[in-house]
Amino acid sequence: MDVRTQEFAAAANRELKNERSRNFLGRLAPYFARSCAGAMKTFPDPAAAVACGRAIRADAVARLPDLLEQFAKNALACGAKIIWAKTAAQANEFILALAKEKGVRYVAKGKSMVTEEMGLNEYLKTNGIDAFETDLGEFIIQLLRRPPFHIVGPAINLPVEEIRDLFLAHGVIDEPTTDRIALGGAARRYLRDKFRRLDMAVTGVNMAAADTGAIFNVENEGNIRLCKSSPAIQVSVMSLEKVVPTMNDALHLLRLLCRHCTGQKLSSYVSIDCGPKKPGDADGPEELYILILDNGRSEIYRDVKAREALRCIRCGACLSVCPVYGKIGGYPYGWVYSGPMGQVLNPLLLGREQTRDLYFATTLCGACRDVCPAGVDHPRLFLHYREQQASSVRAQGLFFKAWGRLVKSGGRWHFAVRLLRPLINRFAANGVIRKMPGLMNGWFASRNLPALAHKTFHKQWKKQERQRDAGRR
Amino acid sequence: MPDDVRRFILRKLKNAPAGTAPSRPPLPPLPVLSLNREELISLFTENLAEQTGMVYRAANAQDIKPHLAEIAAREQVKIMLAATDAVLAPLHLRAWGKTTGVEVLTAEDFPDRESYREAAFNRVQAGVTGADWGVAESGTICLLHDRDQPRLISIAPLLHIAVLPVERLVAVYEQVVQSVYADKNRLPAHFTFITGPSMTADIQGGPFKGMHGPRKLIVILVG
Repeated sequence: MDVRTQEFAAAANRELKNERSRNFLGRLAPYFARSCAGAMKTFPDPAAAVACGRAIRADAVARLPDLLEQFAKNALACGAKIIWAKTAAQANEFILALAKEKGVRYVAKGKSMVTEEMGLNEYLKTNGIDAFETDLGEFIIQLLRRPPFHIVGPAINLPVEEIRDLFLAHGVIDEPTTDRIALGGAARRYLRDKFRRLDMAVTGVNMAAADTGAIFNVENEGNIRLCKSSPAIQVSVMSLEKVVPTMNDALHLLRLLCRHCTGQKLSSYVSIDCGPKKPGDADGPEELYILILDNGRSEIYRDVKAREALRCIRCGACLSVCPVYGKIGGYPYGWVYSGPMGQVLNPLLLGREQTRDLYFATTLCGACRDVCPAGVDHPRLFLHYREQQASSVRAQGLFFKAWGRLVKSGGRWHFAVRLLRPLINRFAANGVIRKMPGLMNGWFASRNLPALAHKTFHKQWKKQERQRDAGRR
Repeated sequence: MPDDVRRFILRKLKNAPAGTAPSRPPLPPLPVLSLNREELISLFTENLAEQTGMVYRAANAQDIKPHLAEIAAREQVKIMLAATDAVLAPLHLRAWGKTTGVEVLTAEDFPDRESYREAAFNRVQAGVTGADWGVAESGTICLLHDRDQPRLISIAPLLHIAVLPVERLVAVYEQVVQSVYADKNRLPAHFTFITGPSMTADIQGGPFKGMHGPRKLIVILVG
């Protein structure tokens, strides 16, 4: 997928004028708040349930290397084939080589953010293997060639008319219709044939339990279950932070994930795999490959503060409560991950340089942190990235060193202020400064500064005191 | 070569500054654990209904077939694919089908995987399975897939009928998973939690059932 994180400001400005999106987003936050709060109320003590989930993810990240090793050992013992990939390119190459070796013509995909991160579909396509997204929302945005608008509903913002035209253009429907059920039914029929003849499927992984080597997938549509039932080869791709210590940990995270994702106690389907099908089973994969992807995460892990971002379980709750996402939607974030989740992950995965706007486009209100069932402290991470970015700019470093020396001494400070006052006031008109050339101009983009008084408050006070004393005498 | 990558990644993770594993608060108490049998049944039914899954009550094993016949007639099921698990095997559904005009197939009727797959996707109108567990906390049924519980039966056809003996109904997931995953040497290749039919809300947020799997889920609770 193309990375467009550098176009954040322009795209955000464009989306702010998109009335349809604004309307939709205006309804999203209250809808989400109702459904998530309603589902959380089914816990006798919701705060304790969340605290427990956060501790599971904190523990998983703290013990990541050991848990990962334990998971891989157990999954291998179940008969899964474990493939490790350092980079997205390595992972893509493995999947392509496997598809070619097995002589498959196409693969079907279960919804998976990590394969979007890898750009797997495009890679396979350019190398002669079709990849069909089978989750309805992902299917639509694959045809549309757009990034997901929301992690849970990738195409949820699109008007039905746009989906109708898209389906007509790609031969999914023959007769135009704007009935959503008819459109969904057409996608079912189109993809059903792919499922029936399927030889190889690629899915993601929601959780991996270290104590058994089991992988979990969570879904509502059943496309992932078909991916795990129909073909003879299943490849499940997991980024390495998906591991949790135990089956029970995974179960509790399931409770939190589904409630935060769609407001359900549990999604329609959760499927758990330990190895390939057994001999004599009528269906299921003959071979199960679990591809463990690093793609920069082991590097992120070296930064003790930044690694806390790896707690994220991709529920999407932070998007729905974010005041910034709530105005601009998912497109401006410019990549697979949007909203606060994307603002935290994209800078780590793509580098701070080309994602600078993402960690500045925040009110630091902390709504994301408060809702997060995994305990990610988004604002703290944004400040951490800013600090890292600032200290990487030499001129900025020198400036703040000088600044520090200036403000630490009262004498120097007063002297500097006395010099600067008249200079600043040169830009005043009618007692207000509206702009200033050079470096400071950005500050004035959205605010004015009243002209500075000729004398400081302290000086004026002292003068008044002197006058009063003189009067008494 | 692949082993190099594994070692490289693990070494890098291990060489990173050690994190401090936080203290883990215990799982908060789950009051559903203290419910009695009837309360479990009504919670299970209520939760499944929230996801549009239907629950029928059968007094005993003899009472299952009339329910099946009624469902088959109403849903116009002519051919159904049935599992051969411990719940269904004693029912001899094939013989029952002959008397009621429903053709009952099992995976063993097919010479190869391809023809079985074709039937599961295109020929049958319903899949019938036993359920290995029911979980009241969310109205979920659990299927342990093996030779007698093929995967496609409960996901490919438009209607899924699951037969759940009431003694298999428990309160929370942990009770199921602790027994299924207790023996490391006999882990199930595939285990599913099913809570309602296949659904999506990907177009405009409007829900729609039967996106890829069943449009309806009916659980016959026995006992």
